[in-house]
Amino acid sequence: MSRYILSRLGQALLVLWIAFTVSYLLLQALPGDAILIKFQNPELGLGPEQIAALREAYGVDSPLWQQYLHTLGNFLTGQFGYSVVGSVPVAHELLANLPATARLASLGLILATALALAIAFLATLAPFAWLRGALQSIPALFVSIPVFWLGIMLIQIFSFRLKWISVINPGEIEGLILPVITLAVPISAPLAQILLRNIDEASTQGYVAVARAKGASPTWVLWKHVARNALLPTLTIAGILFGELLAGAVITETVFGLNGIGGLTERSVRFQDTSVIQAVVVFSAAAFVLVNLAVDLLYPVFDPRLRKAKGVLA
Amino acid sequence: MVQFKEAALVRSILTLDRRTALKGLAGALLAGMAMPAFAQDAPVTGGTLIYLEQQAHTNLYPPAGGFYPNGGVLNQITDKLTYQNPQTLEIEPWLAESWEVNDTATEYTFKLRPGVTFSDGTPLDAKTVALNYDTFGLGNKDLKYPVSEVINNYDRAEVIDDLTVRFHFKAPSPGFLQGTAVIGSGIVAASTLARPYDELGDATKIIGTGPFVVESETLGKELNLKAREDYTWGPVKFAHQGRAYLDGIKYIITPEDSVRIGALLAGQADAIRQIQAYDEPQVVDAGFPIYAPGTRGLNNAISFRPDNPLVADLRVRQALLLATNRKEIVDTLFSANYPLATSILSSQAAGYVDLSDKLVFDQDKAKALFAEAGWTPGADGILEKDGSKLDLTVYVSLPQPQNEGVLQLLAQQWAQVGVKLNVLAGDAGSRTLDLLDPLKTPVNVTMVGRADPDVIKSAYYPKNRDWLLQKGGSSDKTNFVDEKLNALLEGLAAETNREKRLAISGEIQNHVLDQAYTIPFFEEPQAFATAPYVNGLEFEAVGRPSFYNTWLAAH
Repeated sequence: MSRYILSRLGQALLVLWIAFTVSYLLLQALPGDAILIKFQNPELGLGPEQIAALREAYGVDSPLWQQYLHTLGNFLTGQFGYSVVGSVPVAHELLANLPATARLASLGLILATALALAIAFLATLAPFAWLRGALQSIPALFVSIPVFWLGIMLIQIFSFRLKWISVINPGEIEGLILPVITLAVPISAPLAQILLRNIDEASTQGYVAVARAKGASPTWVLWKHVARNALLPTLTIAGILFGELLAGAVITETVFGLNGIGGLTERSVRFQDTSVIQAVVVFSAAAFVLVNLAVDLLYPVFDPRLRKAKGVLA
Repeated sequence: MVQFKEAALVRSILTLDRRTALKGLAGALLAGMAMPAFAQDAPVTGGTLIYLEQQAHTNLYPPAGGFYPNGGVLNQITDKLTYQNPQTLEIEPWLAESWEVNDTATEYTFKLRPGVTFSDGTPLDAKTVALNYDTFGLGNKDLKYPVSEVINNYDRAEVIDDLTVRFHFKAPSPGFLQGTAVIGSGIVAASTLARPYDELGDATKIIGTGPFVVESETLGKELNLKAREDYTWGPVKFAHQGRAYLDGIKYIITPEDSVRIGALLAGQADAIRQIQAYDEPQVVDAGFPIYAPGTRGLNNAISFRPDNPLVADLRVRQALLLATNRKEIVDTLFSANYPLATSILSSQAAGYVDLSDKLVFDQDKAKALFAEAGWTPGADGILEKDGSKLDLTVYVSLPQPQNEGVLQLLAQQWAQVGVKLNVLAGDAGSRTLDLLDPLKTPVNVTMVGRADPDVIKSAYYPKNRDWLLQKGGSSDKTNFVDEKLNALLEGLAAETNREKRLAISGEIQNHVLDQAYTIPFFEEPQAFATAPYVNGLEFEAVGRPSFYNTWLAAH
């Protein structure tokens, strides 16, 4: 088991380095650079000579490989540099935004999972065929709701009209309710869809027929026999959806005026703020790798067959 | 000149009067004019104002105050040497009690007000003021500070005594006195200027003498200011000298337009910045006042880069000016808060000349001029000459109100006379690079706010913003030069006689329109709205809010 984790860690480091390098090269291939965009901007009203002096001070015209090695070296020693747009150390921006996004994304994922389970189980257990059909079409509806529209609608209804929840200056928990719902709804759709499909598939298996023949109730069969087998592929998808959560967070954060990695990334890409993007890429890649590692380690918990297989291999 | 200013004032009163008459909003007239507090009730001390801002501030080095969100913060936490009265545009004492200027405008001596302190307890003295202006005037290469746009020909500062400082200039700098009043000239403590430029995006590091102090901040989300109890140095001519009436201001970044407006109307916020013209009715209908102070500089416009062969011919530029229905643009997209431009300069600016007769819409005349210049319609209806089409490209400018709509409408108008205008959004990098190449961008969106004639030089002079992309300016790809314009601009920046200076400004306004370099659309305001109980919201001369005299009535 420890060898397995070590090799996975090695892979993770490789992934991080590749993500760093590829994003660096892609950013460099874009026309212009952060310093040009910042100082050639009319808001400062600088003349051409003043801009040239600043470019020299920032060393942005030195060879690419020098800048790359310099940045990589800084990252390895934990120095992420300064955000050109925000004019604060990148570490401060990450500190202000990472925990907020982590909280929003994990709560969003939890709610999405709960929604997906609820939809799938209800759609399987509901008493009438028409009701089951209606419940089964919910994922298609959820996935087609634009996040942007959903967020604004929730605010308009629950905050501005009913005045139940404040969007401006809300309490800690109050401020999370609407954004988490906004984020969770579209994410829950693919989860529910996969779960439903797998429940359907598992239900046709022989062991289900046997369990039914033994007189087990539908709920017992679903919970003890079908669900356990249907959950595995769903777990895999949940790991992958984590990336989508980060992307969905951009819009949710903008609509609700929350700070977070989503908004920070959007701004940094827009202004080619290299050091911030590099840091975000490395952190997101790390989060992605960790979540998927966790998912892999969770498989044996859900499926005893995998536990035994590992044992045999070891 | 006085007449022109009066005309502008009368017009703004009329605009407000119509609105108040329509909506029956008592008191909005006074509030809307941003007059110092002589409102109906005595100001109430206390309360925190919740202010929704569209964008987070960036670097708070005072000369970066041109960016609206930055100016909105800096104006509360820093004071300036002088105060420019937004009604008269006169320069009045503030942190400087008095000043003297020599005849050639190369030496300015300021006597500082005694007893002023920074929020970290250090006193405001000549040494600190000298350090501020040395940094603004010369930059600081080691710490990467850029120079300030408003300070020209700066040489050095000289500390005469504890409270007297003299600035020396290499050449006459008549615009400097007004330059000490602008948002970009807020005085900060020596400790702030000792930090690297790259750290000044952290508001808590900006130590000023202003009526408010930064209490805490969550980057990109929220900024809390609190009133300074020991503040006693408001602008000298203000009746109010002591602490601000508000206990604090909470800035909350709310990028989404509908959320800002909805929150204001639902009572979750007290004041908001940035309301588009099409959203104004729902705010006004709810009985909430809108404030739209002008930015008093060069109007929202497009400017040509004559180095591009397509627009090198004066007749082509004139024809494009004639083919532009500016009134349709303003009537379709904007409101009474966006007056139709009648010169390149705002009608609320000193030296403004009404040049409406040079800004007429006449499609027939435009077509005739194109024909005279040798452009004939091709098979697709687009004008052609020697095998090239009159196909122009412009980039949308995001900070300008509804700029994409303006340019799309312009493209439709120009299409009627056979000119193709491509409106591009583009990423920031391509946009910045293309804008330096006149061949790629024959037209650019231009606008700048500042209440001094120097603003014209800032805009057109090749060593400054270089709007026409002249040789020796920002672009290495251009050969175009207008010697006459540049000489006038240099004269404007150096003329010490006020009357003569304003006359030069008028000459430049005429020259720019005669050459059809710029097509001005409207006088760009900054739009704010508040709840009805918010009183005394004021604006400095170019529309940045000041909360010093603001107070909250019982509600």
